[in-house]
Amino acid sequence: MNPAEARSILQLYRPGTDDALDPQIAAALALARQDSELARWLAEHCDRQITLRNKFRQIAGPPALKEQIISEQAAANRSQSVKRRLAALAAAVSVLILLLEIPWHRPAPPTDTLEVFQHAMMGVALRGYGMDLTTNNLPQIRSFLAQKQAPADFQLSDTLKHATINGCAVESWQATKVSMICFHTPKSADQNNLWLFVVDQGVIRKGNLTSSPAVQTIHQLITATWVKDGKLYLLGTQGSEVDIRPYL
Amino acid sequence: MAENADFESLVATYYAPLYQFAFSMTRDEADACDLTQQTFCIWANKGHQLRDRSKVKTWLFTTLHREFLSLRRKQSRASHIELDQASAELPVVLPSSVNQLDTQSLMSALDCMEETFQAPVALFYLQDYSYQEIAEILEVPLGTVKSRLARGLSRLYEMLTDPKSQKS
Repeated sequence: MNPAEARSILQLYRPGTDDALDPQIAAALALARQDSELARWLAEHCDRQITLRNKFRQIAGPPALKEQIISEQAAANRSQSVKRRLAALAAAVSVLILLLEIPWHRPAPPTDTLEVFQHAMMGVALRGYGMDLTTNNLPQIRSFLAQKQAPADFQLSDTLKHATINGCAVESWQATKVSMICFHTPKSADQNNLWLFVVDQGVIRKGNLTSSPAVQTIHQLITATWVKDGKLYLLGTQGSEVDIRPYL
Repeated sequence: MAENADFESLVATYYAPLYQFAFSMTRDEADACDLTQQTFCIWANKGHQLRDRSKVKTWLFTTLHREFLSLRRKQSRASHIELDQASAELPVVLPSSVNQLDTQSLMSALDCMEETFQAPVALFYLQDYSYQEIAEILEVPLGTVKSRLARGLSRLYEMLTDPKSQKS
């Protein structure tokens, strides 16, 4: 290495740094210790490097820059935190909605059972209804019901045959016509205190259907239910079993 | 809270040298502030990905340099105009008066250098980084850094000692 090569290498030398550990620079520095001219140049070079380094480091940023960076980042963090909380809340609400919707997606309970029919018809009797035809003439009632495509060829017990008829109405259940015949019983002052509902047996998908009348209380009314010749009969009245038995 | 404290400590430690590096390249206070702040913003979002915590300083300078290159690409047209204006306003630096230089004059001289030399020279003086560390920050090979430094420093001395060369 000659002095010119050493000078070229030492152009990148910064005094007071680890540059001297570089083998090439270390060799050039060693040569400078032996060459007075090179040593003089090196001294000038070091002065210049120190001056320039100091000048670069005198660059001063705005005094408020640090606080600005910290405060704006804190604000951004708060904003992100709010967004994260809102996202978590939205997720929780979504889960809640999903959970609330599950029951709605469960299979609906069957509505075409005997029990539902019984409750629906006794509800009609209790809530009040409009008589479609008011007459005590049984053939006239059958004719009217037949015209309305409601069951008309129903069979009555001997007691019911002799009971006073007040009229009839056509009800609907599961899109099927139901005949309602209203009787008057001498026991009560109420004119419409005995109701017979007749519907095609096939409409009832589920339920314990028997040919012998099954007596039970529904909506505080005493009822009797039976099937005969493809039809379901539901008889209801106020009172107790002893009040309904004579009409079966 | 601990994260906030770490972040504040990091900013307190590095915002000044990062700003100096940014200003050395942009010669614009607003741009330098933006670059510095953007660098810490990126750190806040991605800093956790850095596994070797001893590399934080290098990571910050590398990120700032990337952001500068991105900014320069966006502003290339405007920057050229500014450079032309700056060239016309360069101060006269007497050959023997390096010690009398103010920082503004130094920045103006740096401004007249080719862009590829500016960042290595700034890092060379600002942070006492080794050549290898400068190479890592600028993401160029070590040999390229040494070459750019040699040419950049030579050009800087030339401009500081011969004012006419600043306009060439």
